[in-house]
Amino acid sequence: MENQSVGIDKQFLAAPVKSAVDKFQLLPEFLKVRGLVKQHLDSFNYFVKTGIKKIVRANDRIVASKHPNIFLRFKDVRIGEPSIIIDGSPEKITPQTCRLSDQTYWAPILVNVEYSQGSPGQPNTVEKNDVIIGRMPIMLRSCCCVLYRKDEAELAKLGECPLDPGGYFVIKGTEKVILMQEQLSKNRIIIDTDKKGNIIASVTSSTEAVKSKTTVVMENEKIWLQLNQFPKKVPIMIVMKAMGMESDQEVVQMLGRDPRYSSLLLPSIEECAKNGIYTKEQALEYLESKVKKSMFASDSSERESRAYSVLRDVFLANVPVHQHNFRPKCIYVAVMIRRMMDAILNKDTMDDKDYVGNKRLELSGQLVSLLFEDLFKTMISEARMCVDKFLEKNNRTNRFDFSQYICRDSITTGLERTLSTGNFDIKRFKMHRKGMTQVLARLSFIGTMGHVTRISPQFEKSRKVSGPRALQPSQWGMLCPCDTPEGEACGLVKNLALMTHVTTDEEEGPLISLCYSLGVEDLELLSGEELHSPSSFLVIFNGLILGKHRRPQRFAMSMRKLRRAGKIGEFVSIFVNEKQRCVYLASDGGRVCRPLVIADKGISRVKEDHMKELMDGVRTFDDFLRDGLIEYLDVNEENNALIALYEGDATLETTHIEIEPFTILGVIAGLIPFPHHNQSPRNTYQCAMGKQAMGNIAYNQLCRMDTLLYLLVYPQRPLLTTRTIELVGYDKLGAGQNATVAVMSYSGYDIEDAIVMNKASLDRGFGRCIVMKKYTAIKQKYENNTEDRILRPDRTADNAGRMQILDDDGLAAPGEIIRPNDIYINKQSPIDTKTLKGASAANLPDSAYRPSIQTFKGPEGESCVVDRVVLCSDKNNNMCIKFLIRHTRRPELGDKFSSRHGQKGVCGTIVQQEDFPFSERGICPDLIMNPHGFPSRMTVGKMIELLGGKAGVSCGRFHYGSAFGERSGHADKVETISETLVKHGFNYSGKDFIYSGITGCPLQAYIFMGPIYYQKLKHMVLDKMHARGNGPRAMLTRQPTEGRARNGGLRVGEMERDCLIAYGASMLIYERLMLSSDPFEVQVCRKCGLLGYYHHKLKTGICSFCKNGDNISTMKLPYACKLLIQELQSMNIVPRLRLAEA
Amino acid sequence: MEGGASYARMPRVKIRELKDDYVKFELRDTDASIANSLRRVMIAEVPTVAIDLVEIEVNSSVLNDEFIAHRLGLIPLTSDRAMAMRFSRDCDACDGDGQCEFCSVEFHLRVKCMTDETLDVTSKDLYSSDHTVVPVDFPDPAGMEGSENRGIIIVKLRRGQELRLRAIARKGIGKDHAKWSPAATVTFMYEPEIHLNEDLMESLTLEEKKEWVESSPTRVFDIDSVTQQVVVVDREAYTYDDEVIKKAEAMGKPGLVEINAKQDSFIFTVESTGAIKASQLLLNAIDVLRQKLDAVRLSDDNVDTTEQFGELGSHLGGS
Repeated sequence: MENQSVGIDKQFLAAPVKSAVDKFQLLPEFLKVRGLVKQHLDSFNYFVKTGIKKIVRANDRIVASKHPNIFLRFKDVRIGEPSIIIDGSPEKITPQTCRLSDQTYWAPILVNVEYSQGSPGQPNTVEKNDVIIGRMPIMLRSCCCVLYRKDEAELAKLGECPLDPGGYFVIKGTEKVILMQEQLSKNRIIIDTDKKGNIIASVTSSTEAVKSKTTVVMENEKIWLQLNQFPKKVPIMIVMKAMGMESDQEVVQMLGRDPRYSSLLLPSIEECAKNGIYTKEQALEYLESKVKKSMFASDSSERESRAYSVLRDVFLANVPVHQHNFRPKCIYVAVMIRRMMDAILNKDTMDDKDYVGNKRLELSGQLVSLLFEDLFKTMISEARMCVDKFLEKNNRTNRFDFSQYICRDSITTGLERTLSTGNFDIKRFKMHRKGMTQVLARLSFIGTMGHVTRISPQFEKSRKVSGPRALQPSQWGMLCPCDTPEGEACGLVKNLALMTHVTTDEEEGPLISLCYSLGVEDLELLSGEELHSPSSFLVIFNGLILGKHRRPQRFAMSMRKLRRAGKIGEFVSIFVNEKQRCVYLASDGGRVCRPLVIADKGISRVKEDHMKELMDGVRTFDDFLRDGLIEYLDVNEENNALIALYEGDATLETTHIEIEPFTILGVIAGLIPFPHHNQSPRNTYQCAMGKQAMGNIAYNQLCRMDTLLYLLVYPQRPLLTTRTIELVGYDKLGAGQNATVAVMSYSGYDIEDAIVMNKASLDRGFGRCIVMKKYTAIKQKYENNTEDRILRPDRTADNAGRMQILDDDGLAAPGEIIRPNDIYINKQSPIDTKTLKGASAANLPDSAYRPSIQTFKGPEGESCVVDRVVLCSDKNNNMCIKFLIRHTRRPELGDKFSSRHGQKGVCGTIVQQEDFPFSERGICPDLIMNPHGFPSRMTVGKMIELLGGKAGVSCGRFHYGSAFGERSGHADKVETISETLVKHGFNYSGKDFIYSGITGCPLQAYIFMGPIYYQKLKHMVLDKMHARGNGPRAMLTRQPTEGRARNGGLRVGEMERDCLIAYGASMLIYERLMLSSDPFEVQVCRKCGLLGYYHHKLKTGICSFCKNGDNISTMKLPYACKLLIQELQSMNIVPRLRLAEA
Repeated sequence: MEGGASYARMPRVKIRELKDDYVKFELRDTDASIANSLRRVMIAEVPTVAIDLVEIEVNSSVLNDEFIAHRLGLIPLTSDRAMAMRFSRDCDACDGDGQCEFCSVEFHLRVKCMTDETLDVTSKDLYSSDHTVVPVDFPDPAGMEGSENRGIIIVKLRRGQELRLRAIARKGIGKDHAKWSPAATVTFMYEPEIHLNEDLMESLTLEEKKEWVESSPTRVFDIDSVTQQVVVVDREAYTYDDEVIKKAEAMGKPGLVEINAKQDSFIFTVESTGAIKASQLLLNAIDVLRQKLDAVRLSDDNVDTTEQFGELGSHLGGS
């Protein structure tokens, strides 16, 4: 430690480059300790270890309503090992078996109970341990999971990919993620304006018991309270009086004696006086008249007034009322009003709803915990009802066992259903949300990673507001600035940055008492006057006013010291707000925070020797944390810190130093090389496309049975990597290939971002991909004991040709080439599945079955292969047969490719190698990209990638392009890359002298050529191309069907029709809209104008209205028109056709 | 080359370097069209033999059937016999199914891993029915290193995995599929002519000369340690990058050096995949080119109109 050296000297000593490079090692260590989905795991672990116990403890007794001595008490609860019951005995399960056999990966919820047993008259208390009350789906890699703390070999044995992040559930065989939900902080005062422009202070209170929203609003210069329980807003002064603040002076004192505040309050006081309300009783009486009448008169209103209970329980529910002491609530209201008035006097003090510090992320653990609490309470009340019913009916004679009533399916099915549908419909907590869970994206490895770090917003996406969508400065380091979708959800759906951690709840009690012992003056001991005295700061803990402190900075410092020493939780945030004169402490869950290196007077606490110890494996990331070298700061506390990017930038005031600048990006944006050289939207585009790139999914990709799987035949790791790529394992599960790209114009088939591809490269496997598709068949059992049967194919039957690929067991054989219309399962179903049959069901005659074969419908003219056939039993114990059909595709015209810089393009043409340009070294590009892609896109990063890649292949070293990495050595500089190029005989600018392959003459210009990592995107022509001549028609309208899947027609839409009308191509319109669509011949009666019919015997048209065929004309009409006429007739509207000579 | 006299020139070839799989030669007294057609023919139209049809009996390896078939196809086979072989599509001996000795070679591969160690299945495990057509064997250039030369790896097997297949190799050309291309690299460059302006050069200081020499990314020039004069060391190292010319201009000495590409001489570099020897590749290419020209000449007799002749050129390409 250099303790006494001079300031300037220190700055010199803190040499920038060397120490910064070393600090990088913290990052892999961080990811090793925390992992990328640590927030999900932590949250779930918290629920499993603490949350569930709390819930059970809070509701641990079931007592029969009429017999208080008959009871059941939960003593302990825990989650067992993941298992299922097979034939009565528990069988351990692994995630992979669940995935394959469509099971839910869950573990029993075990409770220890104490309960009454025996005859209801004299029950005796019995204890029973490990009673299963339900099954809890288990998050993969959480502490309950079998994968917890397994090393690579063990994971491989369990059929699991070591790079898979976990953090999701397996529900009925599908992987489900509960997305992080972003919402406004609970229990915090937010100053804002309402629709009318009035200033409001609102608090969304949320406690275990109540959820409410309290709003104090300034309207017409008076201050009002809005609360759901009051249909109209009520004057705040009356509320204050009702809470016992009868003296106006006291209220004014609580606000502070600044005359500006009192003058703002004056109209409200006058209003109160005008209403003639001076005492608490009067106020309560007044409020009683305003309170919303509940539907059913509750019996509690007898004892205390309803207004009183609303004020106590609903109004600012987060502030507890002990023994009718409303003083904390009054002070809370006073603080709210004061903040409001501050906002009126000075607009700057308004809170920003989009500020990340005012947001909380709701994680899977919290959501599952809510769900469980609801189900658990429901189960308890159900159990009580059953017991009551039992006791009522049976005259206290029958034997009785309480423990029988708690083992129900309600918890199990409730959890499973909610997680599989994603509809959280919890009435108890007034939660009705849809789409909370999503099927984990398994399109590419990186897509999976992106999916588990995604944050979804709470409010609906349709609103046209820009505020919440804009990039917030406070997102720095916490949320990725690049990764957001385009379009509807732009800016609302976010992704976590690389180092972000989301906190879980922490015990409040010890922290509160700690605050008091550190000199926080209790609220109870303070007069209103003292509250806002200029020498002191209010101390607010999780939105609750604890008291005040005279030396806030010192208090904050000592709290922080305790945190750094590990005496209090590392995620407790201490934030001194000078403007509001408050110290905010937060220990609640859902805050985003990130680790930073602590600096004293600008000198990093992390020294060389620490890093060396880390490298040697003596020191872990947690040691850094424990030794107070590193700490987590949340968004609020960041405001008290001065964070230097690099040690070299640190000044005396600097309190923290970033670990690595590129961690402000998330996982997906971290794949882009040199993103800081690109135009920002390009990085955003790449973030959207990276998820669609084909490559490897996981190490166990070939053992999985996904419905759709895209794999690259020869995936490569990018030549130009970034640190993030190595950290997340993209170098092991890449999704792309390093293609030699020439930036030049060629053939004219490269306009509009199309690329020209080299046929020889494609022959050799460039862009070759495997598409696997799952087809399922179920051997159904029916209620009448009959069941489907799978037959050995009859090789002599008419359709034997279509059954060629079947084995003798009636299922397609793996390895067989399957063509469209081939039968892959020769199944038959019983015709009669309703009437009950006895034991004879097994041997029904053949005539009792009808064939229900399944045929393969793949791309015409392509040959697919049956890859695998898997048999398993599904949840209804039916045999389930899954076929995986594989198709290997080489790139073709129109397939979509993209580099890592948001530059997508389709393959415009494929050219023979000999026609491709070549250099005198013999290098011939794999693809040609048009230079017009560059000027408007400004993706300079792509150019640097090309240069770096070229230098990389020539010198044999992977080059780096981490974001902002030039300074810390995580990205190669263009100068050094150029030097390497020159050293290997290339031009420093990456341009080559190229000969035309067609003529053999040199090209006029030097061509920028080198390797760029290209991704093949999942959009392929084969899946999209569609044309139709004749084809199926819709039954009702007789018009051609719609859509590619139904071999539908190509629609001449409204706009196309308009064009044709404008052009005057009437016959074309006639042909398109009628002849080629739904022509229909009708008989029209010239007299009555109604449609008749054609009488086949008489060979004339007959009008059924006129009862003759005298005035019948035959004409053509679109069938849809005839349909319309008839439909109108059916509702008593008579359309008549008036015919004239044409 | 004006004048109505004979256009016929006699191109000269001088071989500079010749190895089994590598040849470097000069082609003089001709023009780019000839040089380029030679290059194009070498890449795309010299026939070789490559595996074209794979019948898989057992495949329990990690790679799927198409994957293995594709890999097998890309293994170069010695195809000295290829010129004499028939294309299976116009083979009379077998009615087009391409399974006779005149147009095809059969291979077998039977490997099963019985040990706990990973077994590499390589091109050496392919058994050919014809000893003249076998997977290319690369002598290890390092010699001492890698004492067991295991050939081109096809797939790796773990205990219990098995691969059994029959493969048919056929004659083909690179135009149809790159696996039939015998050439790994075929490229040429124009021979540069470099004229140093000695007088102007003398006006440079030694420092400046050094700087100028350094400006070329390839070592074309050097300074004679004795005379301290700039000399051309390796003319052909020049990559037409104009760096030295730009440098001279930047130094205020335009015309310091004059570099021209000789329009009638080319330096070819040919690397073969090993399917045929590089020298043979060149000879075969000339043969094929001659055949093509013959075809043009023949059709020229039949059809006189130049119009149709132009169209014919593209039709001739396939044969």
